[in-house]
Amino acid sequence: MLNGPIYFDYNATSPIHPELQEKIVEWLPFWGNPSSVHAHGRQAKKLVREARQSIADALGVSPLELIFTSGGSEGNNTVICGLLFSAQAEERKELITTTIEHPSVTRAMDFAETQGFKVHRIEVNRQGELDFFHFERVLSEKTLLVSMMLANNETGILLPIKKIATLAKARGALMHTDAVQAIGKININLGDLGVDYATFSGHKFYALKGTGAIYARRGQEFFNYIHGGGQERGRRAGTENVLAIASMGYMAHKLQKMPEHYEHMLELRDFFEAQILQKIPDAEITSQKAKRVPNTSSVILPGVHGESLLMSLDIKGFSVSTGSACSSGSSEPSVVLRNMGLTRDEAQSSLRVSMGWMTTREEVESFIEALVSIVDHLRNIKNRGDSRANPS
Amino acid sequence: MPIPAKSKGRVLVAMSGGVDSSAAAALLVDQGYEVIGVTMQVWDYSSCNIEEGAGTCCSSSDVDDARSVADLLNIPFYVINCEDEFKEKVIDPFVSDYMAGRTPLPCVNCNTYLKFDRLIEKMQELNCDYLATGHYAQIVHDKNGDAAIVTSTDDWKDQTYFLFTLPKDILNKILFPIGHMNKTDVREYSLKKNLVVARKKDSTGICFVGDKGYANFIRDNYPAAPVKTGNLRLYPSGAVLTQHQGIHNFTYGQRKGLGISSEQPLYVVKVDAESGDVWVGEEKYLFTQKMTIENCHWHKNISPEERLCVKVRYAHKGGEATIEHVEGSIYNVYFSEPQRAITPGQAAVVYDGARLIGGGWIR
Repeated sequence: MLNGPIYFDYNATSPIHPELQEKIVEWLPFWGNPSSVHAHGRQAKKLVREARQSIADALGVSPLELIFTSGGSEGNNTVICGLLFSAQAEERKELITTTIEHPSVTRAMDFAETQGFKVHRIEVNRQGELDFFHFERVLSEKTLLVSMMLANNETGILLPIKKIATLAKARGALMHTDAVQAIGKININLGDLGVDYATFSGHKFYALKGTGAIYARRGQEFFNYIHGGGQERGRRAGTENVLAIASMGYMAHKLQKMPEHYEHMLELRDFFEAQILQKIPDAEITSQKAKRVPNTSSVILPGVHGESLLMSLDIKGFSVSTGSACSSGSSEPSVVLRNMGLTRDEAQSSLRVSMGWMTTREEVESFIEALVSIVDHLRNIKNRGDSRANPS
Repeated sequence: MPIPAKSKGRVLVAMSGGVDSSAAAALLVDQGYEVIGVTMQVWDYSSCNIEEGAGTCCSSSDVDDARSVADLLNIPFYVINCEDEFKEKVIDPFVSDYMAGRTPLPCVNCNTYLKFDRLIEKMQELNCDYLATGHYAQIVHDKNGDAAIVTSTDDWKDQTYFLFTLPKDILNKILFPIGHMNKTDVREYSLKKNLVVARKKDSTGICFVGDKGYANFIRDNYPAAPVKTGNLRLYPSGAVLTQHQGIHNFTYGQRKGLGISSEQPLYVVKVDAESGDVWVGEEKYLFTQKMTIENCHWHKNISPEERLCVKVRYAHKGGEATIEHVEGSIYNVYFSEPQRAITPGQAAVVYDGARLIGGGWIR
């Protein structure tokens, strides 16, 4: 028997890695300010320095190319909004992104429009394919920045960033990727990807919340967004979130075992999807045939409202999501899924299941059983409701 | 109230963030039910200027209040988004009623279509045995297990007036945990339970309208609503006193804001949607003895001989009347005594003693 609620929402946030929980207690005495020259400061600075090295190693970059931030949203905003003030922006007044980005990219792009920039939003269809024809048509010497996510938070699809970066570079455009949903799910080598900027967040790969990192390739312009003290070589002011940074460094070290984690998640996800499609024949996995991270399934369960599904699953002890956690509470179904061409009903009937390193087969099996019985129950009620006379 | 003996069962409780529904949830937990809290988000309050939590039933900080009560009670809590449905079933008809010269009663539609329709479905979805709300009303069961709504023990707060559309067949699924209490007891109980909402002001007025008044609400949110202007005429002479800016600004019995000065007090006695004329007259012309009601719902059969009590607005103490079937769901109501300002668009709710019999909408 499984204890407590079971977690299938790793794309929203991940649990703190069990080993890390012990390390954090070890680090608690190192509360000094890393900018201080004295012993207390040095202890804290050591944690930050080691973390930076560990993350740089994991991503195949130099430590000086990393800037610690408060998380993914700050990272995306810093890169996109910052570049609007760069020297290149004098000449290049266009930006390119996709219609399936995280709101911190989408809204930053909206802001760019208010500053006189033209933004091209490239569609990704329900098979998970980017409209390359459109992209190549709008990519030009006027393009300042191409910003596209590495992995999508709702469907798990992977965009061909390496190919996009090559094309962008050929036109002299800068390339940014929001890699928040990719780290901890696939192996990432930034040198190989060929991007100029990338954004990461600690809490999506088992580290503490409140920290993240920007990769800014050496030699590329970087606009300081938060002004103040000289932290991060003057590129991001504010006393470092030492514990969270150290936790991210610790988890970066753990990424060495990524191939094993990848296989583990892939096996569970494929098992889950095969079982669901067998037991709920009219279910559909969005972009199932696309290249995806190994942990995410976006399942359309026709005739079942995602909100009802979520509540019922929660009451049975399963934590899942209907879309990006940031947009829950709004009446509109997932914008990302709608933009990928799902109907309103399909988007409203979509469930996002995301697994992690700690997910077990036993958990997946009990989840499948619960999901199948809840879908059956909800469909029965809906059928009864539809045949009930409408009160006047 | 008889509760099935086997177990206390699982209850979905509608929590507005006010003191009544919070106390209802706490009572159910006390009584040993498995309780699930739910708040319906019905209106985007970022777009209006309601002072947070100030005397309306569902403003945005109220969701936080409901959540903190649920946390204190350690029960699952969900916000379900009903904005589209609320607009379609409650606000749109509210506006069109005013534009057609009627005085709407949106709380009944909210109960009919949201609380006791959407939430009943939610109750079934979540395998709950009951749906509970913080209404001041009671449900009694007779020997045969037949259920009926009766008025709250708190006469002043009794809210059965808003419940006349409830289908009779769901009554055995409904719980009104505070229906046997008065407001003072509810507040005392909430204080004892440390509910953050214990001292919160009572909700008054219409939750989505805010402090600018309904006419401004309509102007700001429904700029295309067809305004029917016309004459303000004196009853019975028909003399034109002035022009008015739209029939939606008037309700029967209204005395203030008529835009005229007169030696004796004048009241709106009739709003004629067809011509756009609004008639004002002395108070005596406000009294009538007969009205027609439509879209009636009944919890039991009534005969034309029965002397029943009919309330024509929430604050009305009720008048003795007989009721005669006309056709379909249309009925005529004959009062023993003339009643003041019977207002089209309001509900006429019928009681036999304390028992709610049903009701309809005043034509």
